[in-house]
Amino acid sequence: MKNKKIIVIILYSLPLPVLFLSLFIGPSDMASVSSILAFFKHLIFSGNSGNAETFQTVQAILWDVRIPRIILAFLVGGALSISGSSLQAIFRNPLVSPYILGLSSGAAFGAALALAFAFLPVQVSAFLFGLLAVALSYIAAIKHKNLSIVSLILSGVIVTGIFTALLTVVQFLSDPFKLQSIVHWTMGNLHNASWKLLSSSYIPILAGVIILFLMRWRLNVLALGDEEARTSGINPSREKIIVLIAATLASSAAVSVAGIIGLYGLIVPHMVRMMVGPDNRQSTILNFLFGGTFLLIIDDFSRTAAGFEIPIGVITMLIGAPFFLYLMKKTNIGWEN
Amino acid sequence: MGELNTAISIQNLSFSYEKNTVLLNASAEIETEKLTIILGKNGSGKSTLLRIIAGLLPFKHGLISISGKELKTMNLSERAKTFGFLGQKHKAVFPFTVEQVVLTGRAGYINFVPKKSDVKVAETAMYKVNIMHLKDRIYTELSGGEQQLVMMARVLAQEPKMLLLDEPTTHLDFCNQIKLLTLLKELTMQKLTVIAVLHDPNIAFLYGDDFLFVKNGTLERPAEPIKPWSAEYLKTVYKHELQSVPYAGRALIVPDIIQQKQNDR
Repeated sequence: MKNKKIIVIILYSLPLPVLFLSLFIGPSDMASVSSILAFFKHLIFSGNSGNAETFQTVQAILWDVRIPRIILAFLVGGALSISGSSLQAIFRNPLVSPYILGLSSGAAFGAALALAFAFLPVQVSAFLFGLLAVALSYIAAIKHKNLSIVSLILSGVIVTGIFTALLTVVQFLSDPFKLQSIVHWTMGNLHNASWKLLSSSYIPILAGVIILFLMRWRLNVLALGDEEARTSGINPSREKIIVLIAATLASSAAVSVAGIIGLYGLIVPHMVRMMVGPDNRQSTILNFLFGGTFLLIIDDFSRTAAGFEIPIGVITMLIGAPFFLYLMKKTNIGWEN
Repeated sequence: MGELNTAISIQNLSFSYEKNTVLLNASAEIETEKLTIILGKNGSGKSTLLRIIAGLLPFKHGLISISGKELKTMNLSERAKTFGFLGQKHKAVFPFTVEQVVLTGRAGYINFVPKKSDVKVAETAMYKVNIMHLKDRIYTELSGGEQQLVMMARVLAQEPKMLLLDEPTTHLDFCNQIKLLTLLKELTMQKLTVIAVLHDPNIAFLYGDDFLFVKNGTLERPAEPIKPWSAEYLKTVYKHELQSVPYAGRALIVPDIIQQKQNDR
């Protein structure tokens, strides 16, 4: 019990230092740690002990490149994690991620379509097709006004298949140059981060996150089962749709700016649950905070580890998967049957 | 039975799953603050009846009124404050603690997050069922019987006026069955109306105040001078040779093995 409290405190206080330290990380030689520190000194004490031109470069790198990227990485990671954990609760299933209802393949197809034919901004197209895929899965699964989780997961698999096939068609029709950018998009990366990208995605992300945060305790009730929820006074179908819409909104917006960051929305909720337990009152917000912080750390790594930038989706897959398997073997993952 | 003492009134209720008719023109009145036990064969429609009253199965034909109010006009939160429903099986997925599970019973009263007063109510419920020592244990790691008691506490945390219990003694050992029935009796003293479906007629006759039988899709309450625990009557319900052994003003019910042995010879 005591350990858990310490973990919770750490999780709450982790984001700020990581956000701050990430300012110092990047491939540019112009913005070395010492020159950034000199810049901060200049900013705070307004001393004149430095080169004004360097300060301008540092400011440009920090303000135009790093800060938007840091915020975007945090929001994307937080959105995927909080959506994943909420969906796992309402589906009562450990294998659920924000991509389960075809969101990722729909968004990939939308992005590819826009990259190949330039009829819409890539981000907008990815966002809309992501929503479309989820809506299709949902409509396909609904029967006599009833929503069965099994049919929802099945229709998600089918819709994913359809959009993956359509994506292949677009790729087939595209010239090699466009094909390259499509493939790059699907790998997931944050290197396009800018204030513009951020400003077009933060509203749906935050709206979704706030709704899920408000629903945090109701997720506990829903996680217990439909019958139990219904007889204790809440309408499970209605509440599930609210959660589904909020999670889809947030994760669609995240995918539309960052591409497909694989496994993330599946793994982080499990990590958080292992650390603080299954009570969604606590884990919902911690999923957002830890999910954001952890993706930021991964992104810091991805832009400095190699001489080139490794797509972040590849890293989450390559590092996340084995790490997750290790945790799964070592701790009780908490899923009976 | 006066209008004032009727908790639930069922009139001409019919219900079928697809083409399989379960209840046909069933009518009955259930008294307030009594332990009413519903008995009947497997598949006779006992659970169906309970689930209809709990609002889990929509019905088309018939009228059910709750303390004079029509069931169909009650919304979910009104129902939750009236009925506490305990289903037959519950499969938990997440390793919630017992307290977290019991607290979810408060859902009908809570907008976003439970308050301190809700936690208090949950604790009182756990205290009543005598599971305070399990408070911080993981629900999924408990035995079937303990889980059943936790769900019972969860239903009490709802602070309902009536309890609808579908075979609440399943998974409970003999001692815990007795404790549970004693608790149900106590709850009726605290002005709760308790309606329970039970398999075991013995436990039923030892503790119940009133008995309803589901027979050929209808509800029946044997009229004086027929006693519900008489072997002749129970034969018509269970379609089996039974003997009734007088005990404590009522009777214990046993299979008629003497008769059976004679038949076998």
